[in-house]
Amino acid sequence: MSVLEKDPPKVVEPARATASGQPFWRRLLFVVAAYLLCLAVFAAFAATQGADPASIFTTMLQSSVLDWGTLQQTLVRSVPIVLAALACTIPARAGLVNVGGEGQIIMGSVAAVGVGLALGQAVGGPVAWLAIVAGAAVAGAVWCGICGFLRVRLNASESVTTLFFNFIAADVMLYVIYQVWREGDATSLPQSEPLTSDQLLPAVGGLQLTLAVPFMVLVVVGVWALLKYTSWGFRLTVAGGNPTAALRSGLPVRRILLGSMLAGGALAGIGGALNVMGAEGALRPGMTATFGYVAFLANFLGGSRPFPVLGAAVLFSAIANSGNGLQLSEGLNGSAVNVLLGLIVLTMLVVSGRTKEAFS
Amino acid sequence: MTTDAAPVPLLEVQGLTKRFGSLVANDDVTFTVRAGEVHGLLGENGAGKSTLVKSLYGIHQPDAGRVVVDGRDERIASPSHARDLGIGMVFQDMRLIPALTVWENIALQLRDTPRVLKPRDAQRAITDASAHYGLDVDPSALVRDLSIGEWQRAELLKVLLAGARVLILDEPTSVLTPQEADALFDVLRRLTADGVGVILIAHKIREVRQIADRVTVLRGGRTVLADTDPHELTDAELVRAMVGTSVKPVSRRPEPTDETADAPVVVSLRGASVLRPTGVLGLDGVDLDIRAGRILGVAGIAGSGQGELADLLVGVAPLRSGSMELPGLDARGTTTGDLRVAGVVDVVANPVHDYVVRGMTISDHVALWEATTAGRRRFDVRGAATTFARRDERAGLRAADPSRRLDQLSGGNIQRVLLTLALTQDARLVIASYPTRGLDVLTTERTHALLLEARDRGEAVVLVSEDLDELLALSDEVVVLHHGRVAGTVPAVDADRDRLGLLMTEGAA
Repeated sequence: MSVLEKDPPKVVEPARATASGQPFWRRLLFVVAAYLLCLAVFAAFAATQGADPASIFTTMLQSSVLDWGTLQQTLVRSVPIVLAALACTIPARAGLVNVGGEGQIIMGSVAAVGVGLALGQAVGGPVAWLAIVAGAAVAGAVWCGICGFLRVRLNASESVTTLFFNFIAADVMLYVIYQVWREGDATSLPQSEPLTSDQLLPAVGGLQLTLAVPFMVLVVVGVWALLKYTSWGFRLTVAGGNPTAALRSGLPVRRILLGSMLAGGALAGIGGALNVMGAEGALRPGMTATFGYVAFLANFLGGSRPFPVLGAAVLFSAIANSGNGLQLSEGLNGSAVNVLLGLIVLTMLVVSGRTKEAFS
Repeated sequence: MTTDAAPVPLLEVQGLTKRFGSLVANDDVTFTVRAGEVHGLLGENGAGKSTLVKSLYGIHQPDAGRVVVDGRDERIASPSHARDLGIGMVFQDMRLIPALTVWENIALQLRDTPRVLKPRDAQRAITDASAHYGLDVDPSALVRDLSIGEWQRAELLKVLLAGARVLILDEPTSVLTPQEADALFDVLRRLTADGVGVILIAHKIREVRQIADRVTVLRGGRTVLADTDPHELTDAELVRAMVGTSVKPVSRRPEPTDETADAPVVVSLRGASVLRPTGVLGLDGVDLDIRAGRILGVAGIAGSGQGELADLLVGVAPLRSGSMELPGLDARGTTTGDLRVAGVVDVVANPVHDYVVRGMTISDHVALWEATTAGRRRFDVRGAATTFARRDERAGLRAADPSRRLDQLSGGNIQRVLLTLALTQDARLVIASYPTRGLDVLTTERTHALLLEARDRGEAVVLVSEDLDELLALSDEVVVLHHGRVAGTVPAVDADRDRLGLLMTEGAA
């Protein structure tokens, strides 16, 4: 037994080298070069369309963030994107892929208008806002929760079911616009009956910004704190990091996964409500404008971390907004910015593939 | 067969040594294959068989020793180099592409495949070869539609058509029915008649007797029986060569074990059966009493039901039939969470896969452990470092700093963290699966001591191991699993190792 009196040698391992094994400045150089190349490709594309590659970026900046008025528009537009991106962030922590932000925004919007119309002229102001947001949260949570339930009970892939639920949601909205809450006669533009002006969110201090924008920032901070500091967030991270380990530790993995989907869906639903109360006022076909899909990319770009996700969502919102400027001053079609969006996502994939953990 | 018949062996290995870090997987191994023989390569799990054949197939580069192919010294740099030298290998996890047909899979592998495929030529070549060797496969069938036996035959055809004269088969019968195994042996006989040399990795004595002309036995990375005619040996002698003859003088219990033989039962299994995800019974009608203050060793070849037993005891795998009573546990229910709070903890067989949470520090893991074993909903990550320091001091396994990310540590250091938690838990039931795998000698010794201390505190310990020395040194009794059934229960003191080995490989008589 004499060997037992000695302690086993303590093995000291160095921290594992970063994935690429390159010094930081080399990686930074690579990242910067990649994004510059991305912009150059977009400029070349714009040139083929008759725009001046020297001025498009100035125009884009002017029409998205540099001008106070357009900056406000960018921020307002980013509200549903940010909320729907967080709807991907929370399930992603638990290892789930929610591609259904679009459908959850739509169901939230539908519920928002439904609650608003039910309250009618009688109720306005904060009480109405809360009721509308709560109704939208429930609708989004249910919509996403169904997919979560199918996942934990039947092992149906949530990335597929959430995607298909988007199409169902779009048709549900068309149905209520045309058949249930149709405003005006058949000759007017299709749109649902609107919320009352008391139910719309007021602008903050004489700006175009509505209350939705500061609320959005609060939600981002809240989700960050939830994931970082609460036991709920901890459980989520364990279940996402290693489901087997979570199961063997006795964590209720199914409930955790379902909970993450409910929470995510609720956020996207709230995003839909804020979009209706702060910008649209009523339902109209195509109003969500693929916010949910852009949100999915924003969550990806932000690495499922709330603050970077916020930044990515605002960036995407700015790019989308800059399309107006390109159309007016450069004669480009407004949808040309989608090319830039695509290029950025492509660059991001290349960069993250090359540098892996470099920025995490 | 005399050595005069084949003056130059097809393949000869002399003094081959292969290390992985501090682990010596092959230590001065000697091995020879001649044309026209089936050479059985025997040994327990971890004896170094796979490492040896992977060195021959160019997957590993040996650290020392010679490999002689056809009388020429070779340094086999890669699998494709091995194939050029006429060495082919059929892996346990088969390597065909399911979405392609049999002939497409084979054409992919061949060197002289033209750039534009000629399906008819390829199919004819395959049909000819299958008729010649009795390897019956439809070349135009999709691989994913094949049965396991057909799949293996296709794999064999692939290797043979690539020109293999030395054929390595890694436990080919483990996936086959007895009839398929017999058919495979017929094929091997035809191959050896053609002058092919076959290296057959095997577990089962019976099969070795049936097919092998010579055997080499490895144990602990060393050759313990080289190039011997198996018919000169009894079954018992072969088993002893595989499992070893000497009990290492480690951690032997001080007192006889009869005193605790009727200690209170903590968990009692009756006719317990557990399904694998594949739909096969992994545990099949097991009766077992696990008693406080005793170490129950669980022996068996890999995949005999050890994993399912552990999963059942921690509440991860549901009972398919039979019963599990917990008279010694004050458990609220039978969920994993309930059992954990009631004092059931386990050291998982594969911590890297089933314990380590990506991106989390040791402190995080400690907080998770503390909360789930205490039934608390709050995770105290900040207090975890202090708790862990106390446990580390008590266990003496010298685990890494709690601020380190667990997924960045080596397997051995991960194991130390898990052992430190599980063996300082003051649990009611500890299930330790392969607790010392990958540990250095001193840490292994300390772990053995901790297991004995846990037993002496009155904890029930289930020790799953592939190391018979470890099992016999620590256990009060050893239960042998075979195909998910209890093949026998043997008291560890004065255990008949030959009988244990036979129970492991052949099951109950």
